[in-house]
Amino acid sequence: MDKVKEYPKGENPFKLFADHLAAVGTGLKYLVKPTRITLKYPEEAMTLPTGYRGMIRLYKDVCIGCTLCAMVCPADAMKMATEEGKKLPMINYGRCVFCGFCVDICPVDALKETGVHDAAFSNRRELVFDPDKFDKDYDELPSGEILIRKVKTRIDEKKGVIHEPDQ
Amino acid sequence: MTSGLEGMLSGTGMEVEVVPVEGELNVGPQHPGSGHMRILVKLNGDIIEDVDLDVGYVHRSVEKLSENRNYIHLIPLVERPAILDSIHMNLGYVMAVEKILGVDVPPRAQYLRSFAAEVNRIASHLYGMGILAVFMGHSTGFMWGFGDREVWVEILQALTGARVTNSYIIPGGVRRDLSPAIKEMTEKGITYMRRKLEDWQKIFINNPNIKARMQGVGVMKREDAIRWGAVGPNLRASGVYYDVRKMEPYAAYDKLDFEVPVYKEGDAYARTLVRIEEIEQSMKMLEQILKEIPEGNILSDRFFRQIPPVRLKKWWEGQRRIVMPGYYASFRPPKGEAVSRVEAGRGELLYYVVSDGSSKPYRLRMITPSYRLIYVFKELAKGCRYADLVTVYGSLDYFPPEADR
Amino acid sequence: MWLSSIAYYFFYPSFFIPVIFPGLIFILIALLFTIWAERKFAAKVQMRFGPFYASKRLGGFLQLVADMIKFAFSEIIVPREVNKTLFILGPILITGFSLVPISVIPISSIPQTGSILSPYYGVFHDTYSSLSLFSAVLTPYSLALAIALTSVVSVLVILTAWVTNNRFAMISGIREGYLSVSYDALITISIIGIALEFHSLDISKIVTAGIPGIIANPLAAIVFLIGMLMGSSRFPFDITEADSELVTGPYTEYSGLLFVMTMAGSYILNFAYSLIFADVFLGGWTPLTGFPGALLTVVKAMIVLLLSVFMRSVYGRYRIDQALRGSWKYVFPAALASVILGLVVGPWIR
Repeated sequence: MDKVKEYPKGENPFKLFADHLAAVGTGLKYLVKPTRITLKYPEEAMTLPTGYRGMIRLYKDVCIGCTLCAMVCPADAMKMATEEGKKLPMINYGRCVFCGFCVDICPVDALKETGVHDAAFSNRRELVFDPDKFDKDYDELPSGEILIRKVKTRIDEKKGVIHEPDQ
Repeated sequence: MTSGLEGMLSGTGMEVEVVPVEGELNVGPQHPGSGHMRILVKLNGDIIEDVDLDVGYVHRSVEKLSENRNYIHLIPLVERPAILDSIHMNLGYVMAVEKILGVDVPPRAQYLRSFAAEVNRIASHLYGMGILAVFMGHSTGFMWGFGDREVWVEILQALTGARVTNSYIIPGGVRRDLSPAIKEMTEKGITYMRRKLEDWQKIFINNPNIKARMQGVGVMKREDAIRWGAVGPNLRASGVYYDVRKMEPYAAYDKLDFEVPVYKEGDAYARTLVRIEEIEQSMKMLEQILKEIPEGNILSDRFFRQIPPVRLKKWWEGQRRIVMPGYYASFRPPKGEAVSRVEAGRGELLYYVVSDGSSKPYRLRMITPSYRLIYVFKELAKGCRYADLVTVYGSLDYFPPEADR
Repeated sequence: MWLSSIAYYFFYPSFFIPVIFPGLIFILIALLFTIWAERKFAAKVQMRFGPFYASKRLGGFLQLVADMIKFAFSEIIVPREVNKTLFILGPILITGFSLVPISVIPISSIPQTGSILSPYYGVFHDTYSSLSLFSAVLTPYSLALAIALTSVVSVLVILTAWVTNNRFAMISGIREGYLSVSYDALITISIIGIALEFHSLDISKIVTAGIPGIIANPLAAIVFLIGMLMGSSRFPFDITEADSELVTGPYTEYSGLLFVMTMAGSYILNFAYSLIFADVFLGGWTPLTGFPGALLTVVKAMIVLLLSVFMRSVYGRYRIDQALRGSWKYVFPAALASVILGLVVGPWIR
């Protein structure tokens, strides 16, 4: 049984004034030396740690068509399609919750998690991946005009979360 | 307004709808200070006479949906109501299913469950304090609450693979294991948080402005707290020593040494102080877990034997990740029912699972802590001034999607 | 030849001060700068960047210009059951009346020769203090007139709240009514303390007395500062526009250009108060004269403005009854004490 505590009450006006000054002083301290944790997306893109549950990639030749992934999917996002007598999974990214159960349960490791979390599609039909599209890799960055720097996050004792460049 | 004046004004285009001194305000869903629900406030001048909470705006019928899905499908579903506290929602459900299945959990998995639960508790309390700060106009508290929460969410991301929607705990154990990188991240995060909490004290907790807004507001006496059914830090701030982690220890809590802060006053300031001290106690628990965690398996032997050795070698010895055997895809627990209680970030969370032998549960009932706080909120708001409505709301840490499920 | 006559009419103080500097055009740019500084200060304390992307080299200043343009082109929605004339007039009156006090505050003195303002030496000569003042309207009672004009704005805010015909605006108008009584009393009494100490109601005499008001009467400075924070709705007295309780307060139903005017009105009022503060308490334009003196006064006023805008990142918001109780219980006796202090110190300042 721990003892019941009470917080100090009472309004000494001098202590009130000192508390006001302490609050303003803390604000001024951060005004002079700010620590910012914003990620300047999209000029800086984050490399996610290994094991991040992003979009999934299928390896078509390894899959044996056991349908365990479709059975375990919580959101009914994986369905099996029959191609030349062999069953292969199709995925609907509009429903996928990125839980990673299908990757964990596949007995032959035909599904792999990539680190992509921010793919964009222009209409809903593109969200449904048939097995051929599912077989492609999403790890490449678009080559374009904006130079994208890859950063990785690190926890620092003084500043919290900082983003430092990744080679 | 006298009728003579109204008679003069009518016909000149200057009529206005006069709100009598007693009126009703609709602090509705489209309001910066209401969250996802409608609060109908009956005002008398500046004093609130009655509050009518219109809950159900974000009802997603989790309990009905759980009658049509397998046990493993329900893990992402039941964590969604209070997604920022997802480890606890996950843990309660899995503990109930394990009681029906009769599975024992290895000790390393128990410690890992406590680890993830305490990290999530810190993140949830920081979120609650951020919302409380912004309701009182203190935008720095809001940004700091969410910025400091980033540290803990990154730790959870390294551990489980996702920031908020963790789905980390499965019947029999957990999915992934600690690594030295996570240990280092946690230690640095604890140092950072301790240093930042001193700044929190100066700019938010000891700020005379905030103290004046919160002291003496929404006082809940000890007998009222027990009678109305309050839970969590709100109960402990009213002088009642009750914490499920001490009363019915689950996971590794009976082996950890921690204190439960209890305050006497029962007003909004006491509730905030209880939360700040719980963050400190959680950090102490994390340090203990990192030192004392035993070696071993993270999934119960009954399921671990079913993983083929080839996969085991690649995943378990290579990356310390568990892969699920095919059993999980649709398992049929024996007939039975189970109740499990967990101390979530906002209070006590209760699950009641009834199984009739098929692969889908017959009934899942979850009583979330915010659901129990609906009546408390209604009673505490009576007699307050109008500006105290949002203070009471924020200090109770009431989260509408959790109450509506 | 004609260039010098255009210059004569251009720099005529009654035109130059209210319209160009520090009147309308300067205030609009200073307003953008102040709002940018408020957002940047708050962002530095709050671990983020603030306005950043719109013009990276300028630190995001052009973001504010983009916001102004967006608001100016937004649709102005007038609700159906309001009095349309008053609804549209409300914000216009708020902004207009906030600009009026600037024309009675002298911001510099005109030397007899050698300055660009010297042609007006004779026109704006103030026999009471035997100086020529760079002020739009020359009056020996400039202090009392400035304070009186700044207190009109609160009545117009209540008018705006009334005409909006919305329950949240009504509550906020009531709060503004309560608050305006308190802060007007505080400001008036601290000014009376200063006036008794320096033996005149003329700002120019106070400035040229040789000792700035903040050293002569620090209590009055603190009371005036708190009153200024209350009057222009800066945190921690953001009570009329309490964001999380009353959705934007009296300006809930406004959109587009009218909304910009209401927001601008409170900052302009703050600027007017800080001009008075800079003149009376911080020494005004001494030791410079002429046009550089005017610049110095305005720089001091901008520093006071930025200080009062910085409070957003440190404080929350008081409840209405706490603000009233605090001001009548703690600050009002301090104001009376400042009057006594002024009477005591007065004979030494001659």
